[in-house]
Amino acid sequence: MKKYTLKRILTSLFTLLAILLVLFILMQLMPGSPFNDEKLNDDQRLALYAKYGLDQPVVVQFFKYVGNMLKGDFGVSYNISKNTPISQLIQTRLPVSISIGGFAVAIGAVLGLILGLIAAIKHDTIWDSLATVISVIGVSVPSYVFALALSYSLGFKIGWFPMLYSAKEGFRSSVLPSVSLSMFTMASIARFTRSEMLEVLGSDYMLLAESKGISGPALIFRHALRNALIPIITVLAPLIVDLMTGSLVVEKIFAIPGVGSLLVTAIQSNDYNVVIALSFIYSAMYIGIMLVVDILYGIIDPRIRLAKEGD
Amino acid sequence: MLKKTRLAAAAAAEAPYTPVDADFVLKDNAGEIAIDTNFAAQSFWRDVLVRYLRKTSAVIGLVLILLISIMAAVGPGMNGYTYSGQELSQKNLAPRVKILEDYGIFDGSETMNTTTGSKKVNYYEEKELDDVYYWFGSDNFGRDIWTRTWSGARVSLIIAVAAAIIDMVIGMSYGLISGYFGGRVDMVMQRILEVANGIPRLVIVTLLLLVLQPGMLTIIFALMLTEWVGMSRIARAEMLKLKEQEFVLASRTLGAGSFFIIFREVLPNIIGPIITQVMFSIPTAIFTEAFLSFVGLGIPVPQCSLGSLISEGFNSFTTHPYQIVPPIVVMALLMLSFNLVADGLREALDPKMKEM
Repeated sequence: MKKYTLKRILTSLFTLLAILLVLFILMQLMPGSPFNDEKLNDDQRLALYAKYGLDQPVVVQFFKYVGNMLKGDFGVSYNISKNTPISQLIQTRLPVSISIGGFAVAIGAVLGLILGLIAAIKHDTIWDSLATVISVIGVSVPSYVFALALSYSLGFKIGWFPMLYSAKEGFRSSVLPSVSLSMFTMASIARFTRSEMLEVLGSDYMLLAESKGISGPALIFRHALRNALIPIITVLAPLIVDLMTGSLVVEKIFAIPGVGSLLVTAIQSNDYNVVIALSFIYSAMYIGIMLVVDILYGIIDPRIRLAKEGD
Repeated sequence: MLKKTRLAAAAAAEAPYTPVDADFVLKDNAGEIAIDTNFAAQSFWRDVLVRYLRKTSAVIGLVLILLISIMAAVGPGMNGYTYSGQELSQKNLAPRVKILEDYGIFDGSETMNTTTGSKKVNYYEEKELDDVYYWFGSDNFGRDIWTRTWSGARVSLIIAVAAAIIDMVIGMSYGLISGYFGGRVDMVMQRILEVANGIPRLVIVTLLLLVLQPGMLTIIFALMLTEWVGMSRIARAEMLKLKEQEFVLASRTLGAGSFFIIFREVLPNIIGPIITQVMFSIPTAIFTEAFLSFVGLGIPVPQCSLGSLISEGFNSFTTHPYQIVPPIVVMALLMLSFNLVADGLREALDPKMKEM
């Protein structure tokens, strides 16, 4: 187990370094220099380069840059709010995004499990077909289509929920964005739960449990679901990441002051520093989630760990 | 059941039983007897076709894709408008269709919500445009939404299909080579893949489009860089399954080189899962493209894609909801149908596979 964990952590660190390298190269490729004011003469320019360390070899610059990024010092924003440190911009926005994302994951996981369970238990009935239809739609219709539909119908026409996010009505106004974000998670988990449950329900140990006289909820929840749950955890990780992508547009639609809408605004106003900082944070979160899930999975199911160590 | 019959028989032994006519009627089991069907030997692909056609949802998906593709090809030319032609005096007109307008739908009227309540207005009548018909309405610049929706569908489809096919070629070759050679080559190639997979797609695509000139080719290039990982995994897994089989050994004994074995011997045997994966990656590509357009990194104006149409319609979707409906419906249907087709293909190609 230790060897496996160590290997995974090393791979993750290496990936993070690769991302930093890519980001650094892209920074160098960006057109223009920070000091292209015509009034500056060559001496002044050199002085400025020296001040900001831009006269040093690229390798030294790179390691300095890596150090700064890891310390959370992302530089300042150029356009969105002039000269504000980006870490400060992000600090206020990250909690909003995380709470809405977390809400969406919770809704999606719970509803998806219920839907998948119903489909598997009532296999080959109208309930099964209904659950399949819902999950196919959920997987194939993008989250922002749901967001637009929900905000038009429930927000604008009926007016049950506010159309736009506001901090004052934190919970009520985060219902619509979370629900529209959760659709994909829900649908994928429902599909996966269904197929896993069908497999478990058809297994010999379920027959044994049934013939021992266990029935009803105990049979489904204690014996079947627990075994089906293990693989479901693995799909949760990529789903959380998909959620992060979806959140960009959904945050824009509901005017949520989160990191997603900050990234969109930064892209639209060419605020490179902010884009790069957020790309780094997204990547770090992504790698972190993948790492945690992989290790968790290794703990829960020793077969995976052993198989991967054998590689 | 059996017990009951025995009890009845025991009871009958005590009291003499008089048989009735119903006891001598043949059991009506016509529904229970399965009639054997003989199958003539048929090719693998014919078998796949039969299984595919048996699945209704997959057939519906295929028909929808064909319909949308045909409309994307001929739709923009069906009326006199062009996708970029603007007529500012005719902006924000609601949908109006010739015959349907007599029935009170698509007659060019829309409901406006104002502070004093809602009222029904018909700009065609107000502006005395008797001969003007916008089937899906016109947008903020007076462009025909019908034409724009179908030319947008055309752009989105071209991008998605091109990206999926390029992904297939790259991912397939990578996976096959990695799986075939194994050992150190495989180790290095898989580590590279792990790192590439660790970088969020969104980040790569966004950054690439910031650096490069926006345009159709750039978007295809960005999608190409990110989507090949899944394909290469499938190709590698299939290769690992097949490379120990006798036909590979036979080919090698006959003196075939690695290149020949990989692409001429193994590849034809794994074409099924690969086509399925392509079908799954097309909706992902459509979605990513739409996302990029929404963020403002998509196709440059005046060209349009489904994503950019949705993003334009979003700006006025509470006042003129009809502007956002056509692109959204077309995109949702496209993604849905590709998923249905992919699901159907997967089952048709491998009936033994676990149901997902």
